[in-house]
Amino acid sequence: MTTRPELPRSELLAAQATAWAWLGTPGIWWTGAERTAIVAETRHAAFCAHCRTRKHAAIPAAVLGTHDTTSTLPAPALEAIHRIRTDSGRLGETWYRRLIGPDLDQADLTEGHYVELVAIVAITVAIDSFRAGIGQAPLDLPLSMPGLPTRITPPGTKPGLAWMPVLFPDDWTPPTPDLYRRLPGPPERGRGHIHHALSLVPEAMIAWWDLFEPMYLRSSEMRDFTQEFRAISHAQIEMLAARTAALNQCIY
Amino acid sequence: MNGNPTSGIQAGGILSAFAEAILANADNLAQARSAVVVALGEAAMIDAAAVVAGFNGITRIADATGIPLEPAKAEETQSWRGALGIDAFDNLKS
Repeated sequence: MTTRPELPRSELLAAQATAWAWLGTPGIWWTGAERTAIVAETRHAAFCAHCRTRKHAAIPAAVLGTHDTTSTLPAPALEAIHRIRTDSGRLGETWYRRLIGPDLDQADLTEGHYVELVAIVAITVAIDSFRAGIGQAPLDLPLSMPGLPTRITPPGTKPGLAWMPVLFPDDWTPPTPDLYRRLPGPPERGRGHIHHALSLVPEAMIAWWDLFEPMYLRSSEMRDFTQEFRAISHAQIEMLAARTAALNQCIY
Repeated sequence: MNGNPTSGIQAGGILSAFAEAILANADNLAQARSAVVVALGEAAMIDAAAVVAGFNGITRIADATGIPLEPAKAEETQSWRGALGIDAFDNLKS
């Protein structure tokens, strides 16, 4: 008699539970309550009439209107959440620059706020999509934990690669969290540009990759064709990844 | 690839339909899920859903941060990116 493997994999469930709980904790730029509101808004954006109209417009910015919202988040945050959720493939730097300013209290969105928001939206989308995919109901909103954001920008960030500054692996120094898993070595993350994308907020970068790798593959597993690490093959995994990217109009 | 990205991959068409149904949260999602379970088993269906869901998140990170493709990867994929129309996505950004 064969033993039925645990489904879903315990590593997958644990990673999702950790990421979901993280969403409700105070972040670097947003409070726990604000982060939970971003999760709720991410879900709500899928049903926004304004987003639906813009999705079908040749020039999204030319469509005037307001988002259907479920929160009191600042207007630039709402715009960011809704566009990232519903039309991410057509986001451009001009759009990003219009959202960003130095002071959230003046209705701007700082780059730190924005990067953390991107991670929250991505984690919400990933976990919600997974549960829908396997036929499970969405999780309840994460529990908001009290506390204040630390608002710490890591030293050593540089502009040039992305729209916002990034922290390259060679510029990382303690006590910034070990976002590229350089210790004890060799580094486990940081080879591709995508690893740098959220590095302005290292905690957000770590939260995303700790979730994503069990869903996909670790870097070392991607290149190890001597064995399969999932119940589907490397070829099937890469085909699904490419298909998903194409459907989302992602050129990365 | 003969213009078909699923050709030569076991149950490629069924997996591709599953990905499309998840992203669209389509009415046929249950049917697409069942087809994967019948063809490859439940564990494969779960791992397939995890890959699709993970890339549904990470594509948003790539697009929302303006991260460029690595030069070596861009060169390596140049020939088929154009053929598949992927490069045209860049012209739609605003």
